[in-house]
Amino acid sequence: MPGTPSLAQQLGAKQREISVAEFFERNRQILGFDNPLRAALTTVKEAVDNALDACEEARVLPEIQVEIAKEGTERLRIAVEDNGPGIVKKQIPNVFARLLYGSRFHANRQSRGQQGIGISAAVLYAALTTARPARIRSKVAEEEAAHVAELLIDTQHNQPRIVSEELELWDRPQGTRVELVLKARYTRGRQSPFDYLRNTAIVNPHARIVLIEPDGTRITWDRVSTEVPPVPKEIPPHPHGLELGELAYRLKASKFTSLRETLTKDFAGVTPRALREVLALGKFTGKESPEEVHGEELERLLRVLHEVPLLPPNTEALSPIGPLLIKRGLRNVLGEIRPDFFAPPVSRPPKVRGGNPFLVEVGLVYGGGLPADQPMQLLRFANRVPLLFQQGACAITTAVSNLDWRRYGLDQKGGNGLPVGPCLLLVHLASTKVPFTSEAKEAVAEDPEIDKELTLALQGAARHLRTHLSRRSRRDLASEKFIIIQRILPQLAEKASRLAGKPVPDLTPVITKIMDVVALEATSGPGPSPSESSVTVELTNYTPRARVLELFVEMPPEDLASATLEPLPEGTDAELGRAWWTLEKLAPSARSRLTLRFPKSCEVELNDLDWFIAGVDEAHLLGAESLPGDWEVRLPRAIIEAAEGASAESSRDEAEVDYDGEEAHAALEDE
Amino acid sequence: MAKKPTPPSKTSKASERHALALAPTLALAREVYDQLYAGEIPRMRLPLRTKQNIAFQMREGVWKLGRAMGTRSARKRDGALMLLRTFCLVDFINEMAAENKTSTLRELYYISEGWQDGKFHSEDESNLLIEDLEVLCERLREDFRLHPEENGASVIGDLTLKERNRKGLVKSINCRDDVGDGGYALPFNVEKEKIELVKTGAKFVIAIECGGMVDRLAENGFDEEHHALLLHLKGQPARSTRRFLKRLNEELKLPVVVFTDGDPWSFRIFASVAYGAIKTAHLSHYLATPSAEFLGVTPSDIETYQLPSDKLTEQDVRALQAELTDPRFQTAEWRSEIELMLKNGKKAEQQSLAKYGLNYVTEKYLPEKLGELGMI
Repeated sequence: MPGTPSLAQQLGAKQREISVAEFFERNRQILGFDNPLRAALTTVKEAVDNALDACEEARVLPEIQVEIAKEGTERLRIAVEDNGPGIVKKQIPNVFARLLYGSRFHANRQSRGQQGIGISAAVLYAALTTARPARIRSKVAEEEAAHVAELLIDTQHNQPRIVSEELELWDRPQGTRVELVLKARYTRGRQSPFDYLRNTAIVNPHARIVLIEPDGTRITWDRVSTEVPPVPKEIPPHPHGLELGELAYRLKASKFTSLRETLTKDFAGVTPRALREVLALGKFTGKESPEEVHGEELERLLRVLHEVPLLPPNTEALSPIGPLLIKRGLRNVLGEIRPDFFAPPVSRPPKVRGGNPFLVEVGLVYGGGLPADQPMQLLRFANRVPLLFQQGACAITTAVSNLDWRRYGLDQKGGNGLPVGPCLLLVHLASTKVPFTSEAKEAVAEDPEIDKELTLALQGAARHLRTHLSRRSRRDLASEKFIIIQRILPQLAEKASRLAGKPVPDLTPVITKIMDVVALEATSGPGPSPSESSVTVELTNYTPRARVLELFVEMPPEDLASATLEPLPEGTDAELGRAWWTLEKLAPSARSRLTLRFPKSCEVELNDLDWFIAGVDEAHLLGAESLPGDWEVRLPRAIIEAAEGASAESSRDEAEVDYDGEEAHAALEDE
Repeated sequence: MAKKPTPPSKTSKASERHALALAPTLALAREVYDQLYAGEIPRMRLPLRTKQNIAFQMREGVWKLGRAMGTRSARKRDGALMLLRTFCLVDFINEMAAENKTSTLRELYYISEGWQDGKFHSEDESNLLIEDLEVLCERLREDFRLHPEENGASVIGDLTLKERNRKGLVKSINCRDDVGDGGYALPFNVEKEKIELVKTGAKFVIAIECGGMVDRLAENGFDEEHHALLLHLKGQPARSTRRFLKRLNEELKLPVVVFTDGDPWSFRIFASVAYGAIKTAHLSHYLATPSAEFLGVTPSDIETYQLPSDKLTEQDVRALQAELTDPRFQTAEWRSEIELMLKNGKKAEQQSLAKYGLNYVTEKYLPEKLGELGMI
């Protein structure tokens, strides 16, 4: 048909470049601006992530202030201010008003932001919903005044549009303040800026964060660490994690002239031996110009790089929070709910998946004001950034749900899913490349290597919980018994004896029958000299029989090396940090005492000492565990004999219905 | 608070009563002492007061405790506490006896503030302990000088009794001639050493749920005309009211009829008068009057007399359904009446009889109903 344009021509006429900005304008949900509540969170999050990264790079202890104020009915004015190094005048428009512009996209190390979309998306969103420009104020230390710029984004050309520019005095050495007016709504609660900042404060204990809410409420999360975490080192990419495009880009950008040099210097893990193998297998001479490797050759190169065994990547690119700071962060932020138990946090050694190092850290908190009838609170973090959305789709949640928490003392329906209990779990995944399920960076994608590490870390934390719970339940039971023998029984005996007209009999045999435990109580206190601290251990035989007991202690070997033990132990194992004593025979109700003194510099805590007792079975021990079978310490005959004559008489009247027990109080139908 | 117990005074009958009543606690104290002396954990055995251990004794027509026993042991904290409290309570009862005092249950709860670790943490605990003591001693709480907050109800009619008042004086009272319009108010203790039933011209007792109906009958002269004793139950009757009713029935051989509203809760009032309440099953032989008969308002009365009625609430329906499985209501008459009420979904107050005028209840309804029962 002459004169009529072909279909291809018709389509071609409609085809034109879609600017990135325009694309995101139409797909704002991808970036977390799909509703007013979410928009407030995303804006705060992007600005704070940038501020923390900037401070870290500049080795500054972060001071971050987030101000949220109402601006009319549906709008908020959000301002985020930091004390970071500031941004030079020339870069301000690019950083804030140009999508996909950033310093970290090509850097192969752990960082909070990765794509450089975040803050400029917030600027774009603000302009779209209120037509108000972003107001940026930034001062670098070298300059006298701050630069203030008002910016919009030209969505057609992905270019910043500068509305106004001026200089202003700012009474601080350096810093940046971003101020946006946008259509947004603020509430506290789940997935709110408050939640986000609180969780950020937990994993960034070196930061001081202030939030000013629209009603004027001011919340401060103070820092509990004055150490700026080390800046993760930038490492060359490891070939095992490379894809074709990335490899092509790296080869092209290389400043080296031969493939041989490029492979060993621009990439990690390629040893001379590995290089020889790569060149041989890929049929390269090594003298090729890296720029000219493409097409079939490029694919071949990538294939052999993936096949040949290489050195694993250097894990220094990672910045774990570390057990100490996880504990401090949790204590600091959760202090007001007074948890009973902070499990020693687990920080796994770095592992590698697909050429990218990663590591998993887990912190666990139990009891106090945490709700007992709710599912456990799971706080997920990737590279120190809280993940607030898509919990159900996240590999971290999967790993938590797949663990059988019933074995560790929590309720869990069918041994699967989030367990129920007064428990809060912190899981941090650090990696040079966190595999997210989507660009929104809200959930970690499933990966067998990561899952394995997650499970190991969770099991480690859960084991601490189990120990705590079993100790606690035994302590509760014991404290109930102590109330009986120390308070109720003497009063009961006094009254019954008086009514019967007799003197009060010796209560020792009854006391030992009620308690029926050997109780160990350790207390710490000041030592005889100011440079020492001491731990006193009292062992009481609250059982009806005389017993010969052997007491064992285990502690960090360096603590044992500097300790003074009284009386002198019968044996020690300096390497394993163990010592043991055979105690003289303890009659019912009799007590034995030991003292351990440590130099103050050891900072020994009661938790550092584990006590074990032989000579009485586990069920009759309080404050100590029974001696594990693998200690291989020979016991004197007396103990073996004592252990064999286990007390069987104790549960005579247990068979009858307990008159004051639950089942005897079944509700009667009242009239 | 704990003082040396005063030996029971020989001069007062009430003191002897309480000393006798407390005898089992002395035995318990000796037993606990012996256990302590022998190095055993103190414990005592008590019949279980659970639903499963309450049985309907067809022969006596009352609910009583079964044979299942539980052990209260000082091995557990709660058991140890209850043992201690038992002796605290015995001390307290002895003190009251020495001073010739009595105490309400509420007062006892506060008295326990002085019992150190024995202090009650809720009124449930004090009520449970007293019921335990009743079971242990097979006595009423009134025998231990303890009584509930509210007094017993009132009696109007030709009954002469002798009451020993709080000054120890014995007064002879006729419950028709010597009392005001409120009638004779029952004290919490209606046992023989307090009240002696002398004589009566009445031929039967009408136990009535509401005060308004008692007043109506009295105003209309029903008691004199039909030789009836009017006893006000005041809703779910107190123990002393039930005990008094039983004494009228047993000692003066007076038949008892129960006149209540026509709703499921009133049926339970009748059941507790006639068969004994579940909560006080251990005392049914003291409190229940198995020969008492239900006069009305029955569900069929609501239809027969075309009484103004209200709809049954959800709770009413549940209560009726529970009664269908309650052995106390397992007679053909009760079943058909309860089923009728469920079917019609209606309940009526006894005072709804006023629909036909103030005299209708005394001139028409009661004579007809009492005639059916063969009382007049």
